[in-house]
Amino acid sequence: MSDSGYAIEVNNVYKSFKVYLDKGNTLKERSIFSRRRKYQNREVLKNISFKVKKGETVGLIGHNGCGKSTTLKLLTRIMYPDRGDIIVDGRVSSLIELGAGFHPDMSGRENIYINASIFGLTKKEIDERLDDIIAFSELEEFIDNPVRTYSSGMYMRLAFAVAINVNADILLIDEILSVGDENFQVKCFEKMRELKAAGVTIVLVTHDAGTVKTFCDRAIWINDGEIKADDKAIKIVDTYLAYMNEVRMEYINEQKAKSQKPYDENDEDITMDPNSLHFGNRKAVILSCNIINKEGEGVSAISSDDPFILKYHYKINDPSLEEIIIGMGIFNIDGLWIYGTNTQLANIHIDVKGKKEGQVIFECEPLRLLTNKYILQCSIIEIDSTPCDYYNEYSQFNVVNSSKESGFITYQTNWKVVE
Amino acid sequence: MQVLKEIYAYREMIFSLVKRDLRGRYKGSALGFAWTFISPLLQLGVYTLVFSVIMRNGIKDYYLFLFVALIPWLFFSSSLGGGAGCIRQQADMTKKIYFPREVIPLSYVTSQFVNMLLSLVVVFAVLLVSGKGLSINALIYLPIIMIIEYVLALGMTLLISSITVYLRDVEYFMSIIVMAWQFLTPVMYGIDMVPEKLLPFFKLNPMSSVIVAYRDILYYKQAPQLSTLLTAIIFAIVVLVVGFKVFERLKKHFAEEL
Repeated sequence: MSDSGYAIEVNNVYKSFKVYLDKGNTLKERSIFSRRRKYQNREVLKNISFKVKKGETVGLIGHNGCGKSTTLKLLTRIMYPDRGDIIVDGRVSSLIELGAGFHPDMSGRENIYINASIFGLTKKEIDERLDDIIAFSELEEFIDNPVRTYSSGMYMRLAFAVAINVNADILLIDEILSVGDENFQVKCFEKMRELKAAGVTIVLVTHDAGTVKTFCDRAIWINDGEIKADDKAIKIVDTYLAYMNEVRMEYINEQKAKSQKPYDENDEDITMDPNSLHFGNRKAVILSCNIINKEGEGVSAISSDDPFILKYHYKINDPSLEEIIIGMGIFNIDGLWIYGTNTQLANIHIDVKGKKEGQVIFECEPLRLLTNKYILQCSIIEIDSTPCDYYNEYSQFNVVNSSKESGFITYQTNWKVVE
Repeated sequence: MQVLKEIYAYREMIFSLVKRDLRGRYKGSALGFAWTFISPLLQLGVYTLVFSVIMRNGIKDYYLFLFVALIPWLFFSSSLGGGAGCIRQQADMTKKIYFPREVIPLSYVTSQFVNMLLSLVVVFAVLLVSGKGLSINALIYLPIIMIIEYVLALGMTLLISSITVYLRDVEYFMSIIVMAWQFLTPVMYGIDMVPEKLLPFFKLNPMSSVIVAYRDILYYKQAPQLSTLLTAIIFAIVVLVVGFKVFERLKKHFAEEL
């Protein structure tokens, strides 16, 4: 093998799939109707090249269908590239499919042997690891029971225990950390950190930008089959999230543009259904509500250390309207209401008599939240609380910080060791 | 060569799969593993009834004549019949995890082979109990012909199983092929009963030599003719090489086709 210091080298790899609109596997379908079988040649990877150093931890990120899972499958040699080549140096273990070859009627112990042998271990190697595997799975009492009597959690624990104890040089992981209960997940991460520290090369595919940020040294962002960026994980994740927000904002703006028709009291668009994108009597509407950072730029990601402002732009459709209340709210991605306020609570009166449109600025101190995606709610309501224009989810934005704290918020704390 | 080295590295997987197959096959059935012996014995009963009681053929100890050929034939036919779909059956594994793909047909054929070994124990028992006996001088050729048959079955299974991934018809077609093949191989009759005119065609059938050799060793208690063995060896090697090459070509797209 080469002594290049690289565990993985991917050079100009192309991969495309034939997507059959009607897949036929029988002779009749293959021969007689061969011309009739329509398929699209979908190019999944277009000239992908990257190298992974030994001991590096790399995250592959990208939206659904961008080709990141295909890349991982090529690395495991389940599939082969159409063009280009891939050089992998070292024993590979993949946590792509857990529990391959498990036989329900055989005991946990016997299944360890089967499953580990599929990873290419010899009997002697499995014998050596058996105790570790059983200990890691926490299934000591049940290890001689048939696997069909296991709960799905136990099943995954056993499968994960085998896969992670293969002692591979290269570990490939695809979205599997969502398995098992929370305790076991923590344990899996600990074990992965251990392996990372031991110099195992890890390639991880996930949607979860947070995992990439905390766990990976480096991230590769794949977009539509091409590498869009390849750099330090923290940097890539932030740009990736900002980009994804932009894409989402574009979509929301499109939706908004569709619904921003001239005001008409009998308009069908006037809805009071709180489940729609926005609802209200539309006597006054929000034209825009932008997050502006301290440099004065409109952004979708803010740092938890910097102040920012919300800039509202509204339009009055009903001249009889005298006063409005403008409100805002911040929710986390699970819908937990983190903060909310409005102009009335702050004793601000917005007199709109005779006005056509106007602007309001809402100044905010640094938002001391942990890195995550958040939802901005904004609204205009009448003085009697009737909604004029109410967005439960106006936009999504990211808060970014370098804190390693856990929970929801970040704030200044100090530890002191008392002598 | 690289492939062979890798297959060797994955030898434990082959053992595991064979073990899993043998142990898992009859799980849940009342008679369990006994089916390994009952099934060929029942077949023997039916054939003997038809060909020696109803259609009397005059062959001495017909049930023994048949039995020593039937067991090797069943190994070959089950390798072909079931082996065609062996990769399809392991689609989940093939799609999601890497291992040398040859392992699947290899372990399938090996598990059938182990089955034959177990059945041969019954064959020996029947030969001894019936008073027919065994000849040590002939028996030393038995492992040779068994290895030849194994190689032949493996080559065929590699070929068929990989094509079946792309063309499922092959699997259905095989059951008819196997039936025809059985009638065109001297299993239920002796090679000496074949009309002179058809003999060249029978020589083209690789299983003819194999079955003739088994019968020489176990029924006639004599060493098989050198020409029979040589033909079998050449056929077996050619089939294995072809099967291996085809498999090699086709295996790269298994994950996409399954």
